[in-house]
Amino acid sequence: MSEKIIEFENVTYIYETEDEDAPVAGFPALTDVNLTINKGEFVAVLGHNGSGKSTLAKLCNAILEPTKGTVTVKGIVPDTEEKADEVRRIVGMVFQNPDNQIVATIVEDDVAFGPENLGIEPSEIRRRVDDALKCVNMYEFRHREPHKLSGGQKQRVAIAGVIAMQTECIVLDEPTAMLDPKGREEVMNTVRRLNKEMGITVVTVTHFMDEAVQADRVVIMDGGRVVMQGTPKEVFSNVEKLRSYGLDVPQSTELCHVLGIKEGVLDVDECVDEIVRVMGGAL
Amino acid sequence: MSFAIETVGLTHYYSKGTISQVAAIENVNLQINKGELVGIIGHTGSGKSTLISHFNGLLKPDSGKILVDGVDIWKDKETLKNSRFKVGLCFQYPEYQLFEETVYKDIAFGPKNMKLSEGEIRERVLRAAEFTGVKAEHLNKSPFDLSGGEKRRVAIAGVMSMQPEVLIFDEPAAGLDPRGRADLINLIKNYRNQTGSTVIIVSHSMEDIAEMADRVIVMNKSSVAMQGSVDEVYSRGDELREMGLNVPEITEIFAKLRAKGIDVPANVYTVEQGAEILRNLMERRSVK
Repeated sequence: MSEKIIEFENVTYIYETEDEDAPVAGFPALTDVNLTINKGEFVAVLGHNGSGKSTLAKLCNAILEPTKGTVTVKGIVPDTEEKADEVRRIVGMVFQNPDNQIVATIVEDDVAFGPENLGIEPSEIRRRVDDALKCVNMYEFRHREPHKLSGGQKQRVAIAGVIAMQTECIVLDEPTAMLDPKGREEVMNTVRRLNKEMGITVVTVTHFMDEAVQADRVVIMDGGRVVMQGTPKEVFSNVEKLRSYGLDVPQSTELCHVLGIKEGVLDVDECVDEIVRVMGGAL
Repeated sequence: MSFAIETVGLTHYYSKGTISQVAAIENVNLQINKGELVGIIGHTGSGKSTLISHFNGLLKPDSGKILVDGVDIWKDKETLKNSRFKVGLCFQYPEYQLFEETVYKDIAFGPKNMKLSEGEIRERVLRAAEFTGVKAEHLNKSPFDLSGGEKRRVAIAGVMSMQPEVLIFDEPAAGLDPRGRADLINLIKNYRNQTGSTVIIVSHSMEDIAEMADRVIVMNKSSVAMQGSVDEVYSRGDELREMGLNVPEITEIFAKLRAKGIDVPANVYTVEQGAEILRNLMERRSVK
């Protein structure tokens, strides 16, 4: 049986203060959410703006505290500052805007910031920073100034900062929303590699369907609730239902759907094969 | 008739005069017709944002000229100032640039700078708000109380209220969810159809550009690498990929079908278009 790393039990969250991200104060951003993330899993969370997906992400590492219900991380309920710190050592967070999460003027100092705050030995910090930067293919940029990097490179530095804390799980809140296609690919390749090779659990919140296709499990949010979840194939087999939640499907999926050939087609090659098949082969 | 915008040998360097001097754009010669909807694509660093920052005089060329409606905008102070009203620029993530106390004041900022009468300003603000779908009851609210999508519409209304002859959008759909993206594309198309203004869209989304543009300009390595109709440009998929751009997934599907010997056209950019072609083909085959 798989080991749980994050567990949401009947979680409701209501923004009360004038939080800059609060859509409407006093209105529940999440209602009665039950969700389990297993160790080693790669989970993509989809939903239109205002569906509650960013709130869900922020509850994963105790940035927010549930109004009702509990979020448990490896058996820890972060109800005190100490326990919240413990949770943040297990679950790291990467945000959408690469410019808002860089704190130092040199790349390697930025990556070292987290471990330094944990009070780790300098020699150990050195080793972790080097390893983390190699992991995201940014080692050769270690002496550079972060503001001179591209968006994709900055996001990879932010990811290195999380890895250097040796967290077991990374939660990414629309990490590629502000990047160009190349930057998106760099970041997603990095995230996938961390998941496959290092066994780091990944929860990524995204608008990009092609990113969700690569996940083990897709979770769909709408109106503050989890309305659908399953493998990408299962979820993307429901084109009309996804549309009703304001979401698109990959074009390969859509084409096979509207032609009535097959549901849940996930990529270009599968789509081409299916079309060739129904055509009875090429001429 | 003069062009809405014309550049002649436009060149701009960053860190000019230092050893790290690089050309952001080099010898760019472009003509944008009045009433045209032009898409400018290129990966990050290709020079597209530098290029459009010249169109209303935010950046000064190191050499070459920029003509708006046939007039060199750097001719004198007055012409430069007028070019800022003639050419409206809506930056990436414009919602981060809202600053006034109320939504109304934010949308009115541009027309106010144009020294228009109160009545004219009011009329323009209301029209721009209505067009962009900014709710009337939001006009007296602080822009910071709105959601991200609403803020973006306010920012766009702020540029539209200046009624520029040329309206430029830098990555207008960045960060929006699929529905927000579709709404925005429709908004831009409607704006062009109703006002007849020249519209320039800068984007790295080949899908968005295919849905909107009459003509496409591809920037690569500080210069114009290609220009032409959507068909002409998108049919050069291999070259585009080398420039770090992706053709739409549907276009890739059709290229692969052709490679497998299935007789389909190469110029397919939307799923509806592709589905239609395949449906006809399947019918013909079943008749045989």
